[in-house]
Amino acid sequence: MIKDLFEKPVLVLGCGNILFGDDGFGPAVINHLKENYSLPDSVLAMDLGTSIRDILFDLALSEKKPQKIIIVDAVDYPNRNPGEVFEITVEGIPKKKTSDFSLHQFPTVNILQELRDHTGIVVKIIVAQTNEIPDSVQPGLSKIMEEAIVVACEQILSLIKANDTM
Amino acid sequence: MENVINIQPITRIEGHAKVAIHLDDAGNVADARLHVQSFRGFEKFCVGRPAEEMPRIVCHICGICPWAHHLASSKAGDACFGVTPPPAAIKLRRLMQMLAYVGDKLLNFYFLAAPDFVIGPDADYSVRNVMGIIGAAPDIAKKVVHLRHLTAQIIEKFAGRAIHPTFSMPGGVSKPMTETERQDILGHVDELLEFSKFTIQFAKENVFPKYMDAIKTIGVIEVGYLGTVTDDGALDFYDGKLRLMKPDGSYDDFAYDQYLDYLGEHVEPWSYQKFPYAKSWGDGFSLDLDNPSGIYRSNTLSRINVCDKMATPQAQAELEEFREAFGRPAHLTLLYHYARLIELVQCAEQMVELVNDPEITDPNVRTKIEPRAGRGVGCVEAPRGTLIHDYETDENGLITKANLIVGTTHNNAAMNLSVKQTAQELIKDGIYDEGILNKVEMSIRAYDP
Repeated sequence: MIKDLFEKPVLVLGCGNILFGDDGFGPAVINHLKENYSLPDSVLAMDLGTSIRDILFDLALSEKKPQKIIIVDAVDYPNRNPGEVFEITVEGIPKKKTSDFSLHQFPTVNILQELRDHTGIVVKIIVAQTNEIPDSVQPGLSKIMEEAIVVACEQILSLIKANDTM
Repeated sequence: MENVINIQPITRIEGHAKVAIHLDDAGNVADARLHVQSFRGFEKFCVGRPAEEMPRIVCHICGICPWAHHLASSKAGDACFGVTPPPAAIKLRRLMQMLAYVGDKLLNFYFLAAPDFVIGPDADYSVRNVMGIIGAAPDIAKKVVHLRHLTAQIIEKFAGRAIHPTFSMPGGVSKPMTETERQDILGHVDELLEFSKFTIQFAKENVFPKYMDAIKTIGVIEVGYLGTVTDDGALDFYDGKLRLMKPDGSYDDFAYDQYLDYLGEHVEPWSYQKFPYAKSWGDGFSLDLDNPSGIYRSNTLSRINVCDKMATPQAQAELEEFREAFGRPAHLTLLYHYARLIELVQCAEQMVELVNDPEITDPNVRTKIEPRAGRGVGCVEAPRGTLIHDYETDENGLITKANLIVGTTHNNAAMNLSVKQTAQELIKDGIYDEGILNKVEMSIRAYDP
């Protein structure tokens, strides 16, 4: 819920477009988290779809900031297997995620770097390797990405519990 | 051998894009192109779906202006089924639209445009960014965040969802507003209006005057304009008639459902995104910078140019001051930022008017719909330009054909011209630096694609 955005210490933000196949992984993970797990009161899990960018602008400038942001998304890396879930760094975001995927609206590297470098917020990014993102509208995850949802949820829970720093 | 300068990604525009500047042997600009990824296949996806579901689905097209798609789709559904929503429903739709737009325009000016002006267009990106705004104007930055959050909270509290709205539908809206809810919102809107008025004053006194040279040189082109006006010529974001203005200021008005008679779509082999153009002018389409044909613009400056007046008093005073300085139509591209703030004032004023209207709490907010075969064109002015949803339905109310023209697409040709103009103006003999390339980006950011 928007009202909790600046109140909760930990934000789990799913991003991606549910209209484009495996690109909807982030929102699907958020839905699964909310429906199947009891998240601590300190955690806000939100499906931001393709709206994550302006939320990050607000977080960057807000006086009240979360301690940790966990972003959940889908990527298309070389040398990764479809459905593989892993953590990447801000620097590890594929270049084409920052330029070519206008539909995806992945938060720009610029904003994430600014958040990490200037605000003290711990930024974690959990991604799953896509099987296929269609060129045109085609909702629904591939089977292998559906199976990855639980894996991502478990990794997110570990990140929520971790007493980490930048 | 041809040399290409690639600017990729374009930082701080809402959506991703890249620019390719082609230099000739002498190092001067031969051509420059903006590539924007297009949203493909949505029209086909719509076919077979109930028209009343469309307003909920279309929010996923654009994460930045979901309310514009939500309302354009609802209006297309109204028209397909031949219904007019009750007055209170239309006022509630307008109120949610104005709240969303106030938040959007604040985001655009302070977080996307301001770093170029407040920090300076030649400054290194390490300081010319959103964090730089905190250093330069910390109190204002905090206020912006507070008010943007406030608009989203008001929408969420009343309409259920701020990001993926489900509030509006063919025939009306999902719930009426109680007097308690109206009073609750009433307690906040004056703060939004006052800050909107502060913002345009702040920009006029502290931001724009310092950069008049940039305003007069970056992205300057003379083309036509498109926007929505009421019958008496006032700018309206929700409803009215379309006005297509030629570069000389003459114009034609037409109903939304006649848009295909006035607008065509051109295709270039190097771009997935189509190039809408003014078919009714009869000059065809040309991206020749010295002699463009059929090209018009959309979005803030365009709306400010096509309207005879603003719909609210403070915004009207701002428009008069603007026209005194820049005339009508005003062609300088960076004036999009100034025009956006005039619109911000109108949105805030209309928001206050709507919340103070006792009719907004009328419990009758839905007109019953019956599925039928028909065609409906729904149009609103989205923050980024005129947004058209055109649906056809069968006798069961299922979509048989859909056509969408989104705001940014209208500006595709104009953005390409502005990019080329800026690059040609600033890059000579192969010499350029980060400041010059950022000014090329500024010519795009003005349109907020």
